[in-house]
Amino acid sequence: MSSLDTIPVTTEVATGNVEPLLHEIRHALKRLAEGKEGTVIDLKRLPLAPGEEERIAATLGTGEVRADVDALGPTLIQETSYPGVWLITHKNADEVVVARFIEVTYIPELLRSQQADIDAGINRLENELKN
Amino acid sequence: MRKDQNLGEYLRMQGVSRRGFLKFCSATASLMALPPSAVSQVAEALATARRPSVIWMSFQECTGCTESLTRSHAPTVESLIFDAISLDYHHTLQAAAGHGAEAAREAAMEENKGEYILVVDGSIPNGNNGYSTIAGISNHDMLIEAAENCFAIVAVGTCAAFGGLPNANPNPTGAVSVSEIIKDKPIINVSGCPPIPVVITGVLAHFLTFGTIPELDALGRPAAFFGQNIHDRCYRRPFYERGQFADTFDDEGARKGWCLYKLGCKGPTTYNACATLKWNQGTSFPIQSGHGCIGCSEPNFWDKGGFYDPISAGQWGSRDALLGAAAAGAALGVGSALAARARKKKAQAAEEI
Amino acid sequence: MTLLEFASGPGLQWALWIFVFGITWRVVGAVFLLSRKDISKPRHTNTISAGLGAVWSRSSPAHAFEKKIRFQHVTGYAWHFALFISVLFFAPHILFFESLLGFSWPHLPNTIILITSIIATAVLIALLIRRATHPVQRFISNADDYISIFVVLVPLLTGILAFAHFGARYETLLAVHLLSVEVMLIWFPFGKLMHMIMTMPARFQAGTAFGRRGVKA
Repeated sequence: MSSLDTIPVTTEVATGNVEPLLHEIRHALKRLAEGKEGTVIDLKRLPLAPGEEERIAATLGTGEVRADVDALGPTLIQETSYPGVWLITHKNADEVVVARFIEVTYIPELLRSQQADIDAGINRLENELKN
Repeated sequence: MRKDQNLGEYLRMQGVSRRGFLKFCSATASLMALPPSAVSQVAEALATARRPSVIWMSFQECTGCTESLTRSHAPTVESLIFDAISLDYHHTLQAAAGHGAEAAREAAMEENKGEYILVVDGSIPNGNNGYSTIAGISNHDMLIEAAENCFAIVAVGTCAAFGGLPNANPNPTGAVSVSEIIKDKPIINVSGCPPIPVVITGVLAHFLTFGTIPELDALGRPAAFFGQNIHDRCYRRPFYERGQFADTFDDEGARKGWCLYKLGCKGPTTYNACATLKWNQGTSFPIQSGHGCIGCSEPNFWDKGGFYDPISAGQWGSRDALLGAAAAGAALGVGSALAARARKKKAQAAEEI
Repeated sequence: MTLLEFASGPGLQWALWIFVFGITWRVVGAVFLLSRKDISKPRHTNTISAGLGAVWSRSSPAHAFEKKIRFQHVTGYAWHFALFISVLFFAPHILFFESLLGFSWPHLPNTIILITSIIATAVLIALLIRRATHPVQRFISNADDYISIFVVLVPLLTGILAFAHFGARYETLLAVHLLSVEVMLIWFPFGKLMHMIMTMPARFQAGTAFGRRGVKA
């Protein structure tokens, strides 16, 4: 196995999609600041060379908020170093990435508690208090 | 999941919160190549979706399509969708066998008349119906019977969609695709050898969500996944534009990840989602791993010249035919020159008189 | 059979057979039509250098006409130069020839080919318009001229469209480009495109014939 690792393979590729994506985020942030609605970008829909997704994440950096959500497998919601720009990585129980989004919003929908869950929780709490 | 439950109830019973359900819908919408703005619509539709009955028939195939779909052990989005449908018949996956299995199939088809989805993988031998039979019934007859009362047919894999490997020269079994036998039902061709698993489940997810057939291209393939060719989405395209090609599989160009056009890549004439969705949950695809695309989602890809012959190479035919043409031309040349000379002589003679 | 399968298979084969048949017919015919041996006493016996000299000297305009036909001179060379670069040094074309001939040669970057092919197309269209509108050119042009220009113009145009993936699905563009080349191959032996084969030998022959008599051609 180790002899395979010694084969020098380099890929100096770029699709040229990283900068336009960052510009799209910039425009989305401006729209959000003007009071218009947020934007969601599906990273799986863009042709990206190996390493470019990491470059985007590295460029956006990490901010003040990091949320580990445990629903149908782990999901990481990270506010990037640009407030309002959130990087959401959905993984399944096998730690395999199933979807990746960039959300430009005040708070991602997934972080908010959901009405159906609140209702179910009320029932559960009432049952708990009865006993 | 009980048949009368909808998907929302099923997931809640599994302990999946609304938040988890929204995550599932986001991933499913991404899977179906829908824009993120459609997630709420997807959520609404999936919450109340009924479980469609699915009959899966395997004909002249290698089982690669089923393998492609079932390679995951933990719940992925793909397998959840698979759980959400009621898979009432599948050779490889079902526990039942023999008459019992066939009876179950017939019961499911009767119960869900007009509503069940028929999934077919493998081609159908038209040469001699005895080439491929199940429980003594030929593939051809089984297909006709099952297709009669189905809602739609999903032809999974290039074999079912276009004939595939069995259909390649010289096609000893007379293999044909589903669409060459069934003419009166909507057929969705999910081609590929095998198809990308998320494309198969994406089509099923579309049924679950919208209850309709997705938009199809001229070859009957879902436009969402087969609308772009590999070349237009390939991350190595800048190398093609600059004319930087790998000449062999281990030269400097290959190590630098240059374009594989010269090594026979059929990317420009192949329509599939490999370059964006990739394989094994987005790990890689053939070109990224250093091998040119073989065009496996296109009809007749086995017979379109070699896998390592570039697209612009011609199929010139035999050298003998060329030499024959040259010989014929030479003969005509000599003949016409001699005839012209004879005419000239005759004219000179006429002049001298 | 799809259009592309036809264009890169039987269509190509037949076009090549007709091309080879036609070229052989005309060249062999021309050779067999050569006049009988000249029995007059030669002024010079070194006819080969006279022939080559004529090929060289007739490659540029005669001194007296130089200024007047500078336009045709420059555009003619520019067009042929641009065409040869586009046809012979584009990587997919080289692979096409390699599949027939068995050997290949280095290619140029696609950007250069794009520039030369656009130049070739633009110049050819401009010259075509000139031919159709200039009174003298119009007078002396016949169907052969126009057909020969069209069968070369269409491959240029369809090639650029195919490269740009513009106008239809790629496999259709590629098939149309191949078919247009096949039309050109079929027309080639029967019209003025034969100048590609005949020009240099014709100049050489004139050079030797005149050189023998001591005249500089």
